[in-house]
Amino acid sequence: MPDTTATLNAIVAEFADLDAREKLELLVDYARGLPPLTPEYEARKTVEDRRVHECQTPVFLWTESAGGKARLIADVAPEAPTVKGFVAILAAAVADRPVAEAAALPDDVLERMGLADVLGILRSRGLRAMIARVRRGFAEQAAATS
Amino acid sequence: MANDVHPEVLVSTEWVADHLSDPAVRVVESDEDRALYTLGHVPGAVEIDWAVDLQDQITRDYIDRAAFERLCAAKGISNDTTVVFYGDKNNWWACYAFWVFKLYGHERCRIMNGGRKRWELDGRPWSTDRVDYPPASYVAPEQDGSIRALRDEVLKHCKAGRQLLDVRSPEEYRGERMHMPDYPNEGAIRGGHIPGALNVPWPLNCNDDGTFKPVKELEKLYVKELRLKRRSPTIAYCRIGERSSLTWFVLTYLLGFANVKNYDGSWLEWGNAVRMPIAKGAATGGPAAALPPSPAVSA
Repeated sequence: MPDTTATLNAIVAEFADLDAREKLELLVDYARGLPPLTPEYEARKTVEDRRVHECQTPVFLWTESAGGKARLIADVAPEAPTVKGFVAILAAAVADRPVAEAAALPDDVLERMGLADVLGILRSRGLRAMIARVRRGFAEQAAATS
Repeated sequence: MANDVHPEVLVSTEWVADHLSDPAVRVVESDEDRALYTLGHVPGAVEIDWAVDLQDQITRDYIDRAAFERLCAAKGISNDTTVVFYGDKNNWWACYAFWVFKLYGHERCRIMNGGRKRWELDGRPWSTDRVDYPPASYVAPEQDGSIRALRDEVLKHCKAGRQLLDVRSPEEYRGERMHMPDYPNEGAIRGGHIPGALNVPWPLNCNDDGTFKPVKELEKLYVKELRLKRRSPTIAYCRIGERSSLTWFVLTYLLGFANVKNYDGSWLEWGNAVRMPIAKGAATGGPAAALPPSPAVSA
């Protein structure tokens, strides 16, 4: 399993040479690939406070540790494909990596993918807040298990 | 009685479906989440993004006249094209793009009533085809300042006690929160509202299906209940100017208000600027107090 940085580097390379339209198409492909919640998480969604309140559209995130391995589970409203695609990328990057590594998720991927310019200042700010949220979640997991 | 109402600017999804291959019509999608266009758009529609296409990326302003001409030309829009805007979020950004097109004097602008939501509810098809049109030629005049309010003008307007509408949620108006419920704080340092502004949250203009309320109901709200005068200069603002574009559209085109400006700097400018007067708390008395508690004010 490649580490978080290697996975993100590969994704960055996928985006790098695309024009704006192709970048958005690839982002939407990632959004389509985010698996729906299992019934278990669907049920937990209603009882746990997993809503990302700083996010503009309904986003529910679980930053979990399974035997010290990170797992990012997310539910993003279909009307927010940008957030959905970006969360899918973050989930791929941290999957099964040690939680301490997931907590150090690089925060410059938007720029390196060339998405910051495609999305503009305010949307990019929202996605950077999402990275911060995921890092914080895994940092808490790392602290709990150390 | 309104003397300058323009109901023809509002077109139905059916009208749009009937004009998809009309060369005189260009359908334009403008969204909060621009990947929605990529996910599926009205067949043949082009995308114009408020943040990347319409705003200058260096100065906090709109693109200049030459850039607007290049944008229209690239999207296959000529001066005589009928441009139909639609989008997500109750057409906020569609109204915003419509307003920017009016800044540059584009004559034939329309809004597809209900936007993406109504198109979906009507079971109409989405397309993922890449859309390109042959470049058109476009000549734009300089910006029309008569529909755009800048900060100094808003300050004078406020001091003169003229019609000023704050279309944000009551929580934002009262200064309890500096962004929409569930939205990130996009950077206003102070909360509250411009003194004298009436709080008329934008959802009061809309039905659940994303369409505008019937003109009679809108008239009842703005003219009868709020007692706004159609001929008095009016300024609308929100946080970054998109929700107030919707109210600007309603007042100007559906209700025939003669002189309405959108303050696009809105709270993000006012709440950060030095020495701007700010009021906090609920409106005391006045027509705003008579407003019913607004349902669904969260975005």
